[in-house]
Amino acid sequence: MKLLDPTRRFHRRAFLAGSATTAASLLFAEELFGAPDADSTKPNPALEKLAAIALAEAKKQGATYCDIRINRYRNQFSGYRLSPERDGSKTDEVPFVNDGTSFGFGVRVIAKGQWGFAASPLVTPAEIARITREAVTVAKANSVLQAQPVELAPTKGYVDRWTSPFEKDPFEVPVDEKLELVHGATRTVKKNPKVFSAFGGLFFHSEDKYFASTEGSSIQQLIIQSNPFLNANAVDSQKGISRDRSYQVAPQARGWEYVLMSNIGENARRIADEVVEHLSAPPVTAGKKDLVLLPSHLCLTIHESIGHSTELDRALGYEANYAGTSFLTTDKMGKFRVGSDVVNFFGDRTTEFGMSTVKYDDDGVKTMRFPIIEKGIFKHYQTIRDQAHLIGETESRGCCYADSWSSVPFQRMPNVWLAPSESDTTADDLIAGVDDGVLIEGTGSYSIDQQRYNFQFGGDAFWEIKGGKKRGMISRVAYQARTPDFWQACDAIAGRAYWQQYGLFNDGKGEPTQINAMSHGCAPSRFRQINVLVTD
Amino acid sequence: MLTKQDAKNLADKILSYSKLPGCSVNINASETVFIRFANNGITTSGYSLDQGVSIESTTEDKRTGSANVSEWSDEALRNGVELAERLARISQPDPEFMPALGPQQYPELPNFDVSTGNSRGDALIGHVKAVIDGARGAKLTTAGFVQRSANWIAVANKAGLFGYHQYTDSTLTNTMRNAGGTSSGWSTQISTSIKDLNGQDAARISVEKCVRGDGKKRLEPGKYTVILEPAAVSDLIGYLGFSFGARDAEQGQSFLSKKADKPGQTLLGEKLFPEYITLRNDPFNPKLASSPWSGSLLPNEKIAWIENGVVKNLFYDRFWAEKAGKKPTPFPSNLILDGQNHTLEDLIKSADKALLVTRLWYMRVLQPQTMQVTGLTRDGVFLVEKGKVTDPVMNFRWNESPVRVMQNTKMLAAPVRTQGAEAGSSLAPAILATDFNFASISDAV
Repeated sequence: MKLLDPTRRFHRRAFLAGSATTAASLLFAEELFGAPDADSTKPNPALEKLAAIALAEAKKQGATYCDIRINRYRNQFSGYRLSPERDGSKTDEVPFVNDGTSFGFGVRVIAKGQWGFAASPLVTPAEIARITREAVTVAKANSVLQAQPVELAPTKGYVDRWTSPFEKDPFEVPVDEKLELVHGATRTVKKNPKVFSAFGGLFFHSEDKYFASTEGSSIQQLIIQSNPFLNANAVDSQKGISRDRSYQVAPQARGWEYVLMSNIGENARRIADEVVEHLSAPPVTAGKKDLVLLPSHLCLTIHESIGHSTELDRALGYEANYAGTSFLTTDKMGKFRVGSDVVNFFGDRTTEFGMSTVKYDDDGVKTMRFPIIEKGIFKHYQTIRDQAHLIGETESRGCCYADSWSSVPFQRMPNVWLAPSESDTTADDLIAGVDDGVLIEGTGSYSIDQQRYNFQFGGDAFWEIKGGKKRGMISRVAYQARTPDFWQACDAIAGRAYWQQYGLFNDGKGEPTQINAMSHGCAPSRFRQINVLVTD
Repeated sequence: MLTKQDAKNLADKILSYSKLPGCSVNINASETVFIRFANNGITTSGYSLDQGVSIESTTEDKRTGSANVSEWSDEALRNGVELAERLARISQPDPEFMPALGPQQYPELPNFDVSTGNSRGDALIGHVKAVIDGARGAKLTTAGFVQRSANWIAVANKAGLFGYHQYTDSTLTNTMRNAGGTSSGWSTQISTSIKDLNGQDAARISVEKCVRGDGKKRLEPGKYTVILEPAAVSDLIGYLGFSFGARDAEQGQSFLSKKADKPGQTLLGEKLFPEYITLRNDPFNPKLASSPWSGSLLPNEKIAWIENGVVKNLFYDRFWAEKAGKKPTPFPSNLILDGQNHTLEDLIKSADKALLVTRLWYMRVLQPQTMQVTGLTRDGVFLVEKGKVTDPVMNFRWNESPVRVMQNTKMLAAPVRTQGAEAGSSLAPAILATDFNFASISDAV
């Protein structure tokens, strides 16, 4: 029976090997991206052949630039919800399993100086030629209105194949093994009689990306990302309140080994105990307090206040109608003080295991690390090829991304990380320096204005700090601040040993809205005299 | 485009590959044309086709697995069914599984506009030009987005159910900003028909707000009477609609849960709001792009969530309805908040002191039992004094509950189709409500 384990069919290479005699029936996407020579450093010639159709057709139609992205995405989501039946007498254990793929191509051209884009899920030579003509038609139509022609910062042409690092492809792990792992953890959470419901899951995402351009690039990349998570909820129906406590494992570009490292089972009992404590925890007293923020929480504050405010497209007004602009206008570059001297941020799509890490971006630019804030001073924006010249720069910083084959590539956030201090300061050292404060772990509610000034954050769990010591849990905490005031109030950051890379999966921006994933590594950090309020 | 016959053939083919007792499919295809502009010029634009099939397979002992595929070759579809079946076989029985529905009589909904479905970039670019001309004429800078989509959806299962629907939708939004970055204005248009979009009108509204918004006054945060324009109301009622789930209400997880020793009691049937508050679904309204079936695949229907101030219905999915001995209800979407025979100008005239709010931004729930939400104002807050709009005011962060806002509503205009930034589209009126809690000032423009 074991040999016939149906989940064997999930195994990308095993599937191919097992089906060698029926190659004609293979999915086209599997042919293109799951080729037996996956260890090669060269892109699959079949992809190059398809791409050549778009590049040639674009030239024939008068385009001065063309790129095509042929991409396949896979998402697998499995887990359990454990919640009481209507009469409360027993627990329903509801499993869920979903596996989805999306495959298609998008063609981007410059014709008459303007961008045009078209996309289709039918990856055939005829459709590629037709869609390329559509993209040129779109570009030419737009030229009626725009005087300034698109200007691309130069990039080399690359021929390469790259894969994000993982030891075991999570899509190759049998789904029943995944369900068993989550089932065990959610059951442990729900075993605590005061827990109302438990929810746990494993989410895996992969992107098979191929990019070719009229500037000589032919790049095939595979990115695999994993995200385990576990949540507990408790309800006090008399008081009319509920509280959550989660084990928020950082999503990372790693394989199945990361799931095993995250020890979901061992954390299940802890979050069950803590959600019960959270439910009866006294509310915070409002006022100015010192905050010690752990990486699992600070990642989101970094994302909203620093990540988004240093996007060049926002600063230039491209996002004015939707995501917003930025308080960091271009005249502030190189001189504006955002944070205290201890605050140093980098934009970096090369970070190991980072959610935004790739070797080449969706402009075909080789990715890099660059300083965003140095000793508190704003230094550089996140940029792409068609923006660099607008601030007098001569190269893109490799921040171009599209969330689908059907989406237009544009400037998206790289991994933006806060440098640890050079000391061996620990989180306990930071707490020891606080007389009246709050320690916050995990993300909760989050909201920030359209120029990234005024923000309000909740969290997943809060502990009172009194007289330099961590005390019991408290509840109903949110803090409000203005971005430069907040980062200038940062007086200490823990050392390198405590730096952790948390991240996000679903950052929305653009019209039509696209999502993006990135990491925000940081060490525990302390902020002085921040406005803390009590929520309902 | 996907015709009814195309959809039926595709569904039949997928179902024919199924070997397990249960199989249901959900088919979608769309064609989108869009133009995005900023700094008074086009930035990106495109023409995009998309398609997908979701397949859910179920074993005899209620194990379920699902797979999504975007390739529609015979091999890809067969693979999709096989994948869903493999996942079902290795999953565990679902105690909340409901048996497949048989054939249904779905209503015909009139929200596909042929000319919108056939239009391309040339039908949109005139609106973009009008908005940019409006900006240039007022020495402002505009950014915005215009799009139209044609959508085809179908559902089918092995028990003989089949449904097909097509709908169109179009939007035009734009933001004006002045050269000093001290003021912004915004407007939105949304309709199933592209004929209802009008670039000149869109520009006029956002230009006026931007010009009028310069020289903002700093008002202290606190509780104010507000006049919320339809886009702001739309986001608030969208959040409110999400919390009408019967299960959450019965299990102590929503503002509709009653405080008690044991969970289970709800505020269904109680008058929580003034008698002129009625919040409802109406899939037959031709102005809203709706679906003939609800999430549970039962025929979509008109239903009131709040009627004359009384909590009239809760959302019951099929499972919870069976447990509760109730009829399943559609999910609260395509919401309509009924209005009164007033205009926005009437609301302004009636106010001694109020803040007129254009739209809301970045809303997040802080506590489900009170529905306290945090968010900000954006693109135009104006002081109203003695029935007249006077000074522009700096933006605020607010911490407030849509429940309390509805309870504090004193006057409503007539509803219009609109869309904010946070909670989808609806038919919403401008409202006047007292005691809206502004928590702090936002420097953002």
